[in-house]
Amino acid sequence: MTSPHLATTPLEGSLGGEPQGQRPARLDVVHLAKSYGTGDGAKKVIEDLTFSVSAREIVCIVGPSGIGKTTLLKCLAGLQPTSGGRAAIDGREISGPPPEMALVFQDYSRSLMPWLTVRKNVVLPLRHLRLPKAELKARCDEALEAVGLAHAENQFPWQLSGGMQQRVAIARALAYRPEILIMDEPFASVDAQTRFDLEDLCLKIREGFGMTILVVTHDIDEAVYLADRVVVLGSKPARVLRIVDVELPSPRDQIGTRALPEFAAQRTDVLSLIKRPA
Amino acid sequence: MALTVKPAVAGAAGIAVALAIWQAASSAHAAGGSLPAVATVATDLGGLLAEPDFWSAVGATVGIALLGLGASAAAGIVVGVLVGSFEPIRFATRAVLEFLKPIPPIVILPLVVLILGPTGQMSWFLVFLGCLLPIVMQTVDGVHSTDPVARDTARSYGMGSAEILARIVVPSSLPYIGTAMRVSAPAALIITVVAGLLGGGPGLGARLYLAQSGGDYPTLYALVIVLGVLGLMFQGATRFAERRLLHWHESYREVVHS
Ligand SMILES: Nc1ncnc2c1ncn2[C@@H]1O[C@H](COP(=O)(O)OP(=O)(O)OP(=O)(O)O)[C@@H](O)[C@H]1O
Ligand SMILES: [Mg+2]
Repeated sequence: MTSPHLATTPLEGSLGGEPQGQRPARLDVVHLAKSYGTGDGAKKVIEDLTFSVSAREIVCIVGPSGIGKTTLLKCLAGLQPTSGGRAAIDGREISGPPPEMALVFQDYSRSLMPWLTVRKNVVLPLRHLRLPKAELKARCDEALEAVGLAHAENQFPWQLSGGMQQRVAIARALAYRPEILIMDEPFASVDAQTRFDLEDLCLKIREGFGMTILVVTHDIDEAVYLADRVVVLGSKPARVLRIVDVELPSPRDQIGTRALPEFAAQRTDVLSLIKRPA
Repeated sequence: MALTVKPAVAGAAGIAVALAIWQAASSAHAAGGSLPAVATVATDLGGLLAEPDFWSAVGATVGIALLGLGASAAAGIVVGVLVGSFEPIRFATRAVLEFLKPIPPIVILPLVVLILGPTGQMSWFLVFLGCLLPIVMQTVDGVHSTDPVARDTARSYGMGSAEILARIVVPSSLPYIGTAMRVSAPAALIITVVAGLLGGGPGLGARLYLAQSGGDYPTLYALVIVLGVLGLMFQGATRFAERRLLHWHESYREVVHS
């Protein structure tokens, strides 16, 4: 079976051309620390993280399972307080969910509402923005088209495969048009072909919308392919092991880029950091 | 050979057997003459059905039950959402609610009759009280069962707390509320009849009382049959509504191939 390949035409039309007047935002994480619980029972998950994502940059975070990547993203999304340090968007400290940010949850199926159709799930976060009806529809159409799910708009999430659900969650974030898009292992349950397509979609979104993008992934090849920089997390509690600048030519291309000797060198670089205990 | 029987046929056969047993018991004077023949009750039932007064009694009973049920649903959901949303209130009210829940509403019937008199108002208030607690408690549980990831999703997209309540928490609680309604709907009918029977409220309960005091057994049985049918209709209606509203829930999902 061929995977439902992602449409390219609408992307060229809407996401491709001119950057749509989005204000590029910058994300700074300074000495961020996070413990769960208080007192003696406190569990320190994040020791000290410092890194930043410049406007229109794609940064990938890699690190072993359970190190605190989701914990970090929840702090950045203002869903839970930090225990130390700070995170800021364009210098404004994050203290609650920032309106200019969208988060695609790792638990994509639980983040979709089972009582709403795909389209209504995508529209859900837009309702309080009180957009004109036509714009609401246009945004939703475009986002669903971009992830190749226009045909499934009237289905319910539980009628879809895991990979399709994941794409609905991504479409919902796209329709929200955030300045900063944060995704927690967003391509974990899609097939290889769709994964490539979604990675390229990610690159196109950055071009088309001028979004700043932070992606958590387990896949080192993916991190190197997508990112301008890769933040490698390690040790427990979590620290930044190193920030690797990915020096690969743009625009990137699934076949060409991955075949470059530099690509292999970069991924070996990152991999050795993760393999070797710090 | 495998025995294949249509459910409807089996059901009809079951009813026929039950009627036959009834007729046999009646002919044998099993209940000391208090059990009239099937045909007698059927004739009486036919007579009732032709009577406008009977239909207004049915209307009163159904109206009171629905009014009480609707009022308790509206109030119960609002109270349940509030109680469920605030942890301290939830803990504070838990013990009290658990204590009050098993008390049957009939216990306070004398009090309500004293205050409101043998009126329709008395009946529906009793229904309201009787159905309120289960609905409140189920709603509280439903609110508590809301998936934290769904909540976080809504929060991360900047939805306010009122919007999260309306668009996330209440729909998440619907399966629990549905269960409460399924239990409450037949209860509403029963309470209405009891309020008529013991408290003098209007409707079929009062008719039942009249038939009882007049020793009119055939009418008594005919009314019991009518109430049985009404109970089935109430149950069917709630099941239907539940299926419509909760088609997305695990227990009702149909795998649709498009
Ligand atoms: N709410 C919580 N309360 C207490 N501990 C928590 C909580 N959430 C996460 N943890 C703990 O924090 C640590 C980091 O969890 P987290 O989910 O952030 O890891 P992760 O890097 O995202 O892992 P994975 O790659 O498997 O998704 C784990 O040890 C986890 O048990
Ligand atoms: Mg995680």
